[in-house]
Amino acid sequence: MQNRGARLRRNVKQFRRDWVLYALLVPTLTFFIVFRVLPILNMRLAFFDYSARKAWTWAGLKYFEIIFSSPLMGQIVTNTLIISCMKYILLFPFFAVFAILLSEMRFSPLRKFTQVVSYLPHFLSWVVIAGIWISFLARTGAVNEIRGLFGAQPIDYMTDKSSIRWVLFYSEGWRSLGWDSIVYFTAILNISPALYEAAEIDGAGRYHIIRYIVIPALITPMVTMFILNLGFFLNAGFDQVLNFTNAAINSRIEILDTYIYSIGIGGGQFSLATAVGLLKGFIGVALVLVTHFTSKRLTGKGVW
Amino acid sequence: MRTAQKGYTGRRRRLTFGQVVLVTFMLLLALTMIVPVLNILAKSFSDPDLSPTMGGLRVIPAGFSTVNYQLVFSNKSIMPALWNSVYITVVGTALNIFLTTSAAYVLIQPRLLFKKSIMTFLIIMMLFDPGIIPEYMVMGKRQLNLIGSQWSIILVYAVNVYYLIIMMRYFQEVPAELYEAARMDGAGHITVLMRVVFPLAKAGIATITMFYAVVRWNEYFKASIYLTKASETTLQVILRQFVVLGDTTTLVGMSNMMSYNELAQIDYGALKAATIIVAIVPILILYPFVLRFYTKDVIAGSIKG
Repeated sequence: MQNRGARLRRNVKQFRRDWVLYALLVPTLTFFIVFRVLPILNMRLAFFDYSARKAWTWAGLKYFEIIFSSPLMGQIVTNTLIISCMKYILLFPFFAVFAILLSEMRFSPLRKFTQVVSYLPHFLSWVVIAGIWISFLARTGAVNEIRGLFGAQPIDYMTDKSSIRWVLFYSEGWRSLGWDSIVYFTAILNISPALYEAAEIDGAGRYHIIRYIVIPALITPMVTMFILNLGFFLNAGFDQVLNFTNAAINSRIEILDTYIYSIGIGGGQFSLATAVGLLKGFIGVALVLVTHFTSKRLTGKGVW
Repeated sequence: MRTAQKGYTGRRRRLTFGQVVLVTFMLLLALTMIVPVLNILAKSFSDPDLSPTMGGLRVIPAGFSTVNYQLVFSNKSIMPALWNSVYITVVGTALNIFLTTSAAYVLIQPRLLFKKSIMTFLIIMMLFDPGIIPEYMVMGKRQLNLIGSQWSIILVYAVNVYYLIIMMRYFQEVPAELYEAARMDGAGHITVLMRVVFPLAKAGIATITMFYAVVRWNEYFKASIYLTKASETTLQVILRQFVVLGDTTTLVGMSNMMSYNELAQIDYGALKAATIIVAIVPILILYPFVLRFYTKDVIAGSIKG
């Protein structure tokens, strides 16, 4: 008890001395309470009928029943998972491959040029990227022009149902290949030169050096990045889809977030949209927790 | 240990067949990243009579004309939106830096009470996104009543936890003895922040400022929801309407569409290209600085070992 009292007194004394410090934190904490905690409290709307003027009325699980009986939901979840798999599993290793190829470029001015060019798309907004890609994939665009050289008929990629998911895949790669490879490139630069020298003395060629020195050094960052991505598995890239979608192909790439946006903001079905968001949020949190504890057991390092 | 060329990057310069193949492949890859952008640039400066038939691989303008830019800079929707974007980016980034630096300074103090709880709270806030509808409700009439005001956009992105954590790392690089010494001399926290931390963490603050500014400039989604009046909207929203959704009527104006005048005859593709370029230019201006501060070591091929 005495101990506790002494600690309290010490804390009060410290607080008096450092009150400016706490005052500096107030605006930031207020921001999170107003713009994050209040919205979280508003998620209760999933269980209420929305009304603009009157109080919201209790609706129970009505909106969740609508979700689970909707035939549309299956398609949307499937789209989300397919697009996520393409990005986080299929595209993901290419970032490491790009880093290895970069590090293998001997003539540094050309390597720097490749780096500077490949990091740039990361800083463009998805609106701009969509604008560029719409022109890039148009009938008169670069892709169809090159295909034309080989005698192929032009394809309207942006409205072609069988191509559109690959358009998302390639445009994501176009935007992220450089930037997302930085973490692996850094890992390669951090490999001790002594390792290479030893390998070269032993007569190892480039292939063996990559196979036995470079790739093992990339395993840890790859596992970390993969785990981090798992937490975003249900996001699948809202901004990208929203800007690449159109009526002709929407059914192939409608994901949870764009669906929430279109029924909520577009259609005014606030409760239903919140219910979908709530479910997605819960699964997202579960995914993050599962990956956190799995990774902690496997690598000793968690997500946070 | 820190040398200009560490690791094996750039160590041997023997020109082998493998190197030629590799360099060719990487340069082709880099070309696929830059040619679409250069093509847009070329199109925007092309003669409107020639640009509709221009190929997608062309990086030199067909003819030369600045008519597309004249149209963009005299357009009654684009120009106010451009200024709104500049305003929101400047005011918003200033707010970001004010909050992020002060919070980062507080959170690196070793004897801060409830430090662990506050960090946990912030990380939960980073990982859990309540989604757009619950936030829209907060912005609505019954709660904050910010819809239709540019403050909605300025405030809703006020602090990014991820950048806050990076800022804390930059601040931690300032030797703790310097804080202690200044505090011993009787300097208050605000003085220490302004006189000790700011000058010593200059490069870090500059980096985070640019990252915030890029995010601000590129933001279109919440702006398209919360900025309901056309006079308040931002360039990215207009760009999306025009280029992505293909709404030329709002942009060019109904009267111009109907009457058969000069404006209605221009090449929309080229006009879109010019609008895209106007939206990219501020990013291109910031880009060298971002590279300089953030990826300097990565590009020079040297990392602290």
